[in-house]
Amino acid sequence: MRLRCGDQLYEPRLGAHPERDGVVLGEQTLKVSVEPLGDGVFLVRHDGRAQALHLARERDHVHLFWDGVVYTLSEEREGSPHAQRPDAAALEAPMPGQVSAVKTAPGRRVRKGEELLVVEAMKMENALRAPRDGTVRAVRVAVGEMVTPGRPLVELEP
Amino acid sequence: MSSPVRPLRKVLVANRGEIAVRILRTCRVLGIPTVAVYSEADRGARHVREADQAVEIGPAEPAQSYLSITALIDAARRTSADSVHPGYGFLSQNGDFADAVSAAGLVFVGPPGDVHRRMGDKRAARRLMASAGVPVLPGYDGADQQDATLRAEAARIGFPLMLKPTRGGGGKGMRVVTGEGELADALASARREALSAFGDDALLLERYVSRPRHVEVQVLADAHGRVIQLGERECSVQRRHQKVVEEAPSPALDATQREALHAAALGAARAVGYINAGTVEFLLAPDGRFHFLEMNTRLQVEHPVTEAVTGLDLVRLQLEVAAGRPLALAQHDVVRVGHALECRLYAEDPQRDDLPSPGRVLHLREPEGPGVRVDSGLCQGAEVSVHYDPLLSKIVTWGHDRDEAVARMIEALRRTVVLGVATNLPRLRAIVGHPAFARGELHTGFIEQHLAELTPQSCPPPLAIAALAMALARTSRDARGPERERRPDAWERVGAWRLGDAPAEER
Repeated sequence: MRLRCGDQLYEPRLGAHPERDGVVLGEQTLKVSVEPLGDGVFLVRHDGRAQALHLARERDHVHLFWDGVVYTLSEEREGSPHAQRPDAAALEAPMPGQVSAVKTAPGRRVRKGEELLVVEAMKMENALRAPRDGTVRAVRVAVGEMVTPGRPLVELEP
Repeated sequence: MSSPVRPLRKVLVANRGEIAVRILRTCRVLGIPTVAVYSEADRGARHVREADQAVEIGPAEPAQSYLSITALIDAARRTSADSVHPGYGFLSQNGDFADAVSAAGLVFVGPPGDVHRRMGDKRAARRLMASAGVPVLPGYDGADQQDATLRAEAARIGFPLMLKPTRGGGGKGMRVVTGEGELADALASARREALSAFGDDALLLERYVSRPRHVEVQVLADAHGRVIQLGERECSVQRRHQKVVEEAPSPALDATQREALHAAALGAARAVGYINAGTVEFLLAPDGRFHFLEMNTRLQVEHPVTEAVTGLDLVRLQLEVAAGRPLALAQHDVVRVGHALECRLYAEDPQRDDLPSPGRVLHLREPEGPGVRVDSGLCQGAEVSVHYDPLLSKIVTWGHDRDEAVARMIEALRRTVVLGVATNLPRLRAIVGHPAFARGELHTGFIEQHLAELTPQSCPPPLAIAALAMALARTSRDARGPERERRPDAWERVGAWRLGDAPAEER
């Protein structure tokens, strides 16, 4: 099992009897028991204490609520290639929205942090900035278009 | 002015989300039948389910649904509603909408069109307030918008100063100018932005107040000449001109300042001939002086903190005033007890620079308990659409004093769970848990000032990972096991289920 949180990768290992032997996580072995309470809630017992874990899954994402905080992890399948890292050659839409301005054009030199596009979502205008210095190879969206997360919007060459 | 009493028999709520749900609640308590309106994107939304009737008014784009005067009035006609509550946002401060509702023979729950127009023009509102003796900042609100005039006025006001579009709001087109050298560029860009956002490039100049607090006074006026105030709220904790945490009363005022502020608000409401519930906003400078900012001619998002300390139902009072009843309350009947806080839960991710975060709510738990109120538009499975405001719900706590309200808020936020849509919940917890917040040291730059501490980095601790691994292993084992051992876990039930659709096939 491989779970990613930002740059951090967790690879918890469970034996045949994890309730008895514990979960191995890096150098640690943690003895926990979990009891499903239904509706995505689990009662977790550890070291004589009990607390709730809330859990919801969506495609390859796992959302959890633990000790008052929400975390989102991505699940990487065993043996699958590494989760796709952001494509360094393209600026992608970080969230769904509508393109309200295009502030660059093919062939233009851009500096890291320069505003390239504005995407409007939930009544807010969000500036999308160049992730690094480079030259714009292509602009793949036009004003007024709806975009979805992960879609490449501007291609950069070094 | 006096009008006959006309009891409301059916209210159409021309809004969506938490405020529509909140208005419907009061109507139910009063036994008034309700009509909800919804766009295609909101077919399964909570406000649609909670109304007696619901009418689809158009596609997801607000311009063709929640902002369409024709569609809304048509919906009221078709359902025989006799009144329209506009909520906040959308058309709530649109004088033409108020007029169109009245012209259609319906009651508009809010002030008449000309009051909206008088307060919607920032220069006119400022002139009116100044003439009524309400303190305004040194500034220029004239019609002559030539560069030379504005340059001369800027020199007279002094730097730093603010440029504000005379129309509109939400911080759009506003510029802080720190010196004469920046003025020409700032004028050009502020005009451009004002023109594209509001169709009018006229600007207002005002002296810039550094580290101000935002305080505002709730006023209420009937159609028979009685005007009262329900005390102030402080809304200094903001991000990009968007309020995040509000409270009542303000921890910044002493009794003398409070009395002066309330009197100024009453003067403002009388000067404009106000009717119904409204809010007069002020900037409170670090030296303790306050100045008129603007008047909101509608119910405010943060009205629940006023309700919590006064025990009054503002929507009920709005409906009674709209029906033409004289206010049953005199000023001395308004008694404020204790302290209330409100936290706005937004679909915004503080770890990604507050990026909006639409999506589906996969799992939801809202807090409850003594002194806790939640005004929410959420339900499990709800789709948070990219087309609308990111405000999801408001968590309100009341305490005998501020410390108790804060303690209850910390606990309420700890118990709030939203999975599937990233929210500002960690930011809210960090704000109300911050020592400067506990001391009441607030100003409109509070979040920027403490940003690093208010942006918790989060990856789960090892114990959570171990528990998660056990839970995931258990789920996949159960999923492979005999049917009777299967547990109805959230994602299996939610799965590909969409609001309004039949449950998806079991996978």
